[in-house]
Amino acid sequence: MSYESPIREPLVNGGKTYADVTRDILRPMENKASKGWWIGFTISAIVLGIWIAASTYTFLTGLGVWGLNKTVGWAFDITNFVFWVGIGHAGTLISAVLLLFRQKWRMSINRSAEAMTIFAVICAASFILSHMGRPWVAYWPIPLPNAFGTLWVNFNSPLVWDVFAISTYFSVSLVFWYIGLIPDIATTRDRATGLRKFIYNFFSMGWNGSTRTWHRYEMISLILAGISTPLVFSVHSIVSMDFATSLVPGWHTTIFPPYFVAGAIFSGFGMVLTLLVIGRVVLKQEEYITMGHLDAMCRVVMLTGTMVGLAYITEFFVAAYSGVEYEQYAFINRASGPYWWSYWIMMGCNLIAPQVFWTKWARSTPWFIFVMSIIVNIGMWFERFVIIVTSLHRDFLPSSWTMYTPTFTEFMILFGSFGLFFTLYFLFIRYLPTINMAEVKSIIPTHSHDNHGSHAHAEKGDTVHG
Amino acid sequence: MLLGVYDNPDATFDVTKSLKEKGYDVYDVYTPFAVHNLDRVLGVKRSRLSTAAFIFAMTGLVSAVSLQSFTSYFDWPMLIGGKPFLHIPTYIPITFELSILFTAFGMVGCFFVVNKMFWGRNSDIIDLRVTDDRFVIAVNVHEGKTDVTELSNIFVKGGALEVRERINEL
Repeated sequence: MSYESPIREPLVNGGKTYADVTRDILRPMENKASKGWWIGFTISAIVLGIWIAASTYTFLTGLGVWGLNKTVGWAFDITNFVFWVGIGHAGTLISAVLLLFRQKWRMSINRSAEAMTIFAVICAASFILSHMGRPWVAYWPIPLPNAFGTLWVNFNSPLVWDVFAISTYFSVSLVFWYIGLIPDIATTRDRATGLRKFIYNFFSMGWNGSTRTWHRYEMISLILAGISTPLVFSVHSIVSMDFATSLVPGWHTTIFPPYFVAGAIFSGFGMVLTLLVIGRVVLKQEEYITMGHLDAMCRVVMLTGTMVGLAYITEFFVAAYSGVEYEQYAFINRASGPYWWSYWIMMGCNLIAPQVFWTKWARSTPWFIFVMSIIVNIGMWFERFVIIVTSLHRDFLPSSWTMYTPTFTEFMILFGSFGLFFTLYFLFIRYLPTINMAEVKSIIPTHSHDNHGSHAHAEKGDTVHG
Repeated sequence: MLLGVYDNPDATFDVTKSLKEKGYDVYDVYTPFAVHNLDRVLGVKRSRLSTAAFIFAMTGLVSAVSLQSFTSYFDWPMLIGGKPFLHIPTYIPITFELSILFTAFGMVGCFFVVNKMFWGRNSDIIDLRVTDDRFVIAVNVHEGKTDVTELSNIFVKGGALEVRERINEL
């Protein structure tokens, strides 16, 4: 039921039929795990072990094992939190915003991007818990009747907004992802036997492909996309307000919400590219995640990278124009103070490096895209480090100026969080369909299926089948 | 019940349309993906899930505003930085988030209820291939009223791969 324009590149290559789609996408799940999967999974699980060890050590000993001090009270923990939350945003952008804009190319990448969202938000949440220092009282920001004479939380605080924003974002993304998975879980169920059939049957919720169900399904998908779109913007705006509503020079700026959202999309697409450039080859999905997809994502990276670059420059201009000397010093210190190198890594990776995507060669060379995606990830991590640490370490009182140096434990928690992320991701590619089969089938031209000569497209269909 | 199995959404659509026009009692059409406009041809009424979503959004909005104003104004007013106790602008973010949370969960909950979907349900799958690459049109056969021969002729003429009878009701 899809019309294919003769002047556009097809969204799926190789003249696939519906059965081909099912077979290709379920192949990694239905066969024995490959050697590559086991190697990847084992490495991720070992790194996850490092995360568990470093977090346990922190909790047993206390936050003193981190490099925080009286002046720099937030550093690695919040940097990592904002980094992971930002990565998550690309998934929602691809699945919700591009659905509203009817961008059909999103269909073969939305599943893995949404999975990435969920796993990234799990990593982010782990940093929120650990930065509290006492994770066993982590429920305190939730307004629950309590034993302190029902003392409630402070609803004026952006940190409380953040609790609501992140938990809403996580649960709504999870629901959106699961709803999208149900028809594909049913496909898996109908091909499986034994215990696998039982498990996939359990989670398919009795999906039977009825048109009435599809009608309602389409409606709730559209509404979920409609509410996820403002949600994704609100979440990172609220994350930025953790900083923007404070009085710290360098944080206290109104540009933060749009600038953080652009940065989040930028870093998220960086991570999607990191995963998919490798994944499409390893999972043999080059015909579904085509060079056209990579090209489109590179364009998004270039656009959003330029947007954050513009924001960096605007911040400088506004600081100069404000006439506030603390504000001006905060920015001069960023670019030329003791942390100058982190500032210029940020500038180089986020503003300058993505400009290579103006050339067609850069957008169509997978190894180069992979290298660029790593550069984007590094750059966006440094952006948060620059914002947080360089704004804090030289505050209003020169007598309390100090430096922040992360400890080995902090490095291991950051490193280990990648283990958490990739362990979840490897489990995902093994046990769930990584491409939304039902949606991809709907964009395959119908004539690939027409063998009966009864339809107008039949001549074209014959050439496809050979 | 007579089932016509197809491998092409266009043929499925055309046959369903002609069956409806000829007045057959089309029970449902089962497809591996959403075939656009098939719901309209089949006469599926527009789902009221969007209304439900709106009601849940309003519920979330009212709950959020009541929670925040009750706790910080009526129950235990706290002076924080000289800010007003009833400070509506700072309630906006949480109100927005809770509206979305209620909408998503309420609407999806309703979706499961109207479709009778729940974890662990063993549903009666009309054809295992319907989640892969086959399209099934199910037409109710009424004793003495439905002309089964003509019906199967329409099925076959429309390009059906197989025509089957099904005794059990769905």
